[in-house]
Order: sequence, then structure tokens, then C-alpha cells
Amino acid sequence: MLIFLIRRTLVLVITLLIVSVLAFLIPYAGEGDPARKILRARVNDPALDQSQVDALTKELGLDRPIYEQYFEWLGNTMTGDFGFSYTSRVPVSEMVAPALSVSISLALAALLLALVFALPLGIVAATRRGGKIDNVITFLSQSAVSAPEYWVGPVLVLIFAKHLGWLPSGGWSGLAYIVMPALALSLRPMGYFTQVTRAAMTEVLAAPYITAARSRGLSFPKTLARHGMRNSMLPVMTLFSFWFAGLLGGSVVIEVIFNIPGMGRLLYTSVLNNDVPVIQGGMMWILTLAVVINTITDLLYGVLNPAIRVTHG
Amino acid sequence: MSAAPMPIDRGMPASSFGEPLLEIKGLRVDFPEVGDGPAIDGMDLTVRRGEIVALVGESGSGKSLTALTMMGLLPPGAQVTDGTALLDGEDVLSMSPKRLNKVRGSKVAMLFQQPKVMLDPTARVGGQVAEALRRHRGVGRREAKARVVQMLRDVGIPEPSRRASAFSYQLSGGMAQRVMIAAALSADPELVIADEPTTALDVTVQAQILDLLRRKRDELGLSILLITHDLGIVSTMADRVAVMYAGRIVEDGTTADIFSSPQHPYTEALIKASLLEADRGKLFSIPGSIAHARAMERGCRFLPRCPKAAELGISDMCSGAEPTLHTCGEHEHHSRCHAAPEHAEAS
Repeated sequence: MLIFLIRRTLVLVITLLIVSVLAFLIPYAGEGDPARKILRARVNDPALDQSQVDALTKELGLDRPIYEQYFEWLGNTMTGDFGFSYTSRVPVSEMVAPALSVSISLALAALLLALVFALPLGIVAATRRGGKIDNVITFLSQSAVSAPEYWVGPVLVLIFAKHLGWLPSGGWSGLAYIVMPALALSLRPMGYFTQVTRAAMTEVLAAPYITAARSRGLSFPKTLARHGMRNSMLPVMTLFSFWFAGLLGGSVVIEVIFNIPGMGRLLYTSVLNNDVPVIQGGMMWILTLAVVINTITDLLYGVLNPAIRVTHG
Repeated sequence: MSAAPMPIDRGMPASSFGEPLLEIKGLRVDFPEVGDGPAIDGMDLTVRRGEIVALVGESGSGKSLTALTMMGLLPPGAQVTDGTALLDGEDVLSMSPKRLNKVRGSKVAMLFQQPKVMLDPTARVGGQVAEALRRHRGVGRREAKARVVQMLRDVGIPEPSRRASAFSYQLSGGMAQRVMIAAALSADPELVIADEPTTALDVTVQAQILDLLRRKRDELGLSILLITHDLGIVSTMADRVAVMYAGRIVEDGTTADIFSSPQHPYTEALIKASLLEADRGKLFSIPGSIAHARAMERGCRFLPRCPKAAELGISDMCSGAEPTLHTCGEHEHHSRCHAAPEHAEAS
């Protein structure tokens, strides 16, 4: 187990280094001179003074070799210093941290909501496979999977904010504000979770050890609880962590529709403004968290199914 | 034998077999959606108290399906369409699901062919051994734990307290089958249905597991329905043998009678096949393949593969009517072959 953990940690560190290179380079993927673009964003003058551009380039250290810039950035990053926003001159961490916490709350709310519905629905569908209830659940899950957020969001606003007036139509200042965006964001994962739960549970219910447990006199529900759940949760957990990691970057569509100050909107505006440090810092945070989530998921595999510890460790 | 912790007194010595414990009569199991006719078609079989009965036949003859039917665990699509199966006087086939849950594990238990996959890969072995015990005997968690260790030791598992918290992947096939035996016996069932319990194990382990089963029979007065295709196992284990072909019993009798004077050409062929195999000589195989029940509506199901019918010139009789399972010798020896002589039942 110790060797397993050491090996995992090593892999984690290497992955993070690769991630940092990606996060650092991504803002430079676009064309053009960053200093020129920044100046153009600040002053609304098409004809820029070259000396001004040169001065800014020097000030930001953009004239140095890229690897030098990378190592300096990496060093600062390790100490928690992600630099200052080019546009607002606020420390990047102070912009990213609140946005990220908003996006994480929203993602967790949406995914937990999805799970709360998907698990029972998927299990019921698996135990009634081919029956009417299964057909209804399958139809609903397929509908949920194909419901885009840019459609669900406005529909929810129309119903709950405009007509019924139960919930605020946008903003972010309390629990009531999280309900609609979380609901809108939860539908697609809910559909996928239901389908994966159903498939996994169907497979597990046909497993020999289920028959063996029944042969000892365990009732069907008890067998399901004792031997079905744990074995069918692996694929669901995988999908959950996949979605969670994906939603760390926020959902631009949902955050724009509901006017939520999350990561999606922050990155979106930073890219528009060519705010390199914010993009880099934001990406670094998101990617690091994604890698950490993946590692935790892998560790949980071993907890859920000890046989995996041996083969993958 | 006296090393048993507490032999259950079932009211009779293990040597003289008592009254019937399991009585299958006219069992028919169908797969309606497949439409190939019944997979088990009019099967009769009796297992007495304390007796080991071997159910023999090639793959596809309906042996495993019989086992699952007796457990009330029919595979999806299968349906019992006729017959009764009295277990201690109570028909298993018409039990309520609730009653079945009560009976499984406490009156009848099952052993399987692939012991490793029969254990939940994510659960500790001990918990599974304790399941029947806790469910049927109302034993609490802590006491169950102690009993599990004792039971694991009893089935020959070294370091039982450590093994109780092992997972199935940490066990060899033989160990896993020992665990399954402990789990099956934990609530003192009267009948154990063992479906090819040693087929997946290597030969030395096979012998150990069979020894263990026989010892348990002697200690506890268990009845065992041993399903196998291996006549070598039959000859060392069984008190009586029932030979199954195409969903029916074609011959049954004491092990000695079956081996010394088989009265059905299929039994003869099976014995011949296994003897030659044991001699490492030329392999003998029965020509043709097993018939579907529906394909043979009137005549004998074995006729297409039978050497005897032509030899004796009775093919017309064999294709005209299916022989009944009639008494053909002493010690309740029955055969479903026209060529087997009728034997007056000694009263």
C-alpha cells in the first residue's frame, strides 16, 4: 500500500509539471504580440506607438526566452503567486479563488442533484429490465441527456422566475440563487448517471456471486444492498469524477444566462481581453484540481474493489 | 469422524439411508422464448437422508438447470411447467419467494463450479461465510465472526482468522471452494446441491475437496446431490447414480450396480468413454450430439446415437415408443431402455 501511494504521488508530480507547461503556453497559442494586444485593449487607438509596445514588453518580461519566463512563472506559482491581471492589476489569485469556489459549489450542487435522482432510477430500471418502468426511465434519461443547457436554462427562468416568481432569475447571493442553475446543469449528467447505473447494475445482477448470495437465503433487496451496490458503483464514480473535473472550468453558458461570477465567465472574459496571467493562473488551478480529483478517484477504486489495488498498483 | 464439533443428530446413522429428503417427480422446465422444447422433461429423482447421489450426464443434458431449479433460482427465461419437488415433504416449486428465502441456506445449500467468481470480489470472505448463519440462525455480528473462524478452520483453511478478512482474489481455487463449503454449511442445511464442485480445480485439490465433502456428509448426516460428468468422481463418492440424457433420467441405481451392469446404452457408453480415457488409450466418444427434447417426440431420445438398437434389431420398437423408466434389477435399479429386462419388483 505504501509503495502504491509513493508511486501514485510520483505520477501526480510529473502530471502536474506537464499540466503547468500546458497552462503556461495556452495563452500564447493565439497569434500576435501579447504586448501589442494588451495595449490595444487599454487604449482605443489602432496606430500604436512602437516604443510604447517595447516598453510594455520589457516591463512584462516578454522579451526574455520563453523557458526563462516559464521557470520564473513556475517558481512564483509554487509560492502561490500567480502574478497580476494585465487588465485590472488585481492579483490573479484574488480573482481565481472566488470564481473557482463559485464554480465548485455549482458543480457539486448539480452533480449531487443528478446522483440523487440517477442512482435510484438506474437501479430500479436494472431490476425491472425490459419492463414498462424501465422503458419510461430509459426514455426520460435519454431526454435528459439531449437537453442542452442553453435551452433548459431560459425555460427554467421563464417558469420559475418570470411566471411563478419563486426564484431569482440571476445573480449569486444566496442559496435560492443556486437552485435553477444547478437544476439546469444537472439534467445531462443525471441522464448519463442513470444510464451508467442501469448498465452497471444489470451486469452485476447477472454476476455469479449474486446467485451465490441468493443461494444462502439473502432476499433480493438484501443481496442488492450487500453485493450489488458496491460492485456497480465503480463506473458511476468514474463518470462522476469525469463530470466534476469537467465542470471545474465552470459552464460559460449557464454562468452567462444566470449571471454567475464563476470560472467560466472569468476565463471567457480573460481570453477576450488577452489577460495572460489570469488565463495561466486559472488554467493551472483547474488542471491541478482535475488531476487531484482523478488521483482521488483512482485511490477510491482500490477502496471499492481491492482486487484493483493489486493489478494497477 | 468424532472430531466433528457437534454432529447434528438427524435421527439415523449415516450408513443406512433414511426416508427420502428430496423427491423430484415429473419435473419439466421450459424456455418458452427459445421454443426448443423443454430442457428438463419429466425428470424423476430421489435423494434420501444421508445419501450422496450423483447426477451424471454430458453438457446440455440439464444437470445444472436441475440444480438451480431445486434452489428456486431459475435463470431468466426458464419456467417450471410441470412436476413437483418435495424437499422434506414441502414442494420447492410452489413455495412463495419469502419461504424460498427461508429455505435457501437453511435447508438446502449449493456449491458451484467456479468458486472464485462465486465470491463477491469487493467483500471480505468472512462476511459471506456468515451470511446464512446470521440470516437463518439469528446469530449476532460478533458471535458470527467467531463462528466463521471456527468454520473456516473446520474446512481446512490455514490461518482462518486472517483468511476471514481476505478477499476472493487472494484465494486459490481450492481455498475459494473450501470457503464456499463453509458458507454453504454455516446454517446447517440438510441437502447440499454440488454442481461440478471440483471441475475447475486441479486434480490433487479435487481429491481434497471431495474428501472434505464426504467427511461433512459423515459428520452431519448431510444429503448431497453431486452433479458431475466425471465418472471417476462418481465411483469414489456416490452411493447412488442417476444418469441424465436430454432432460430425463435414463438410468439410476446403486453405484456398484451402475458400474458393474449398466442397463442403458448411454450409461455403457459413458463408462466406456471414461475407462478408455483413464487408460490413456484411444479416446472413445459417443457419436452424434445430444438431442433436443422436441426433436424426439415419440421414440427413444438416445436412438440416433444408440449402437444397441441396430445390434439387437429393435430399432422399430425404439423409434415407435419411448421406453419407460422401469425396474431392471435389484436394489432399485431402473433403466429407460427397451433392451433392459423387466425385473419384478421384490417386495
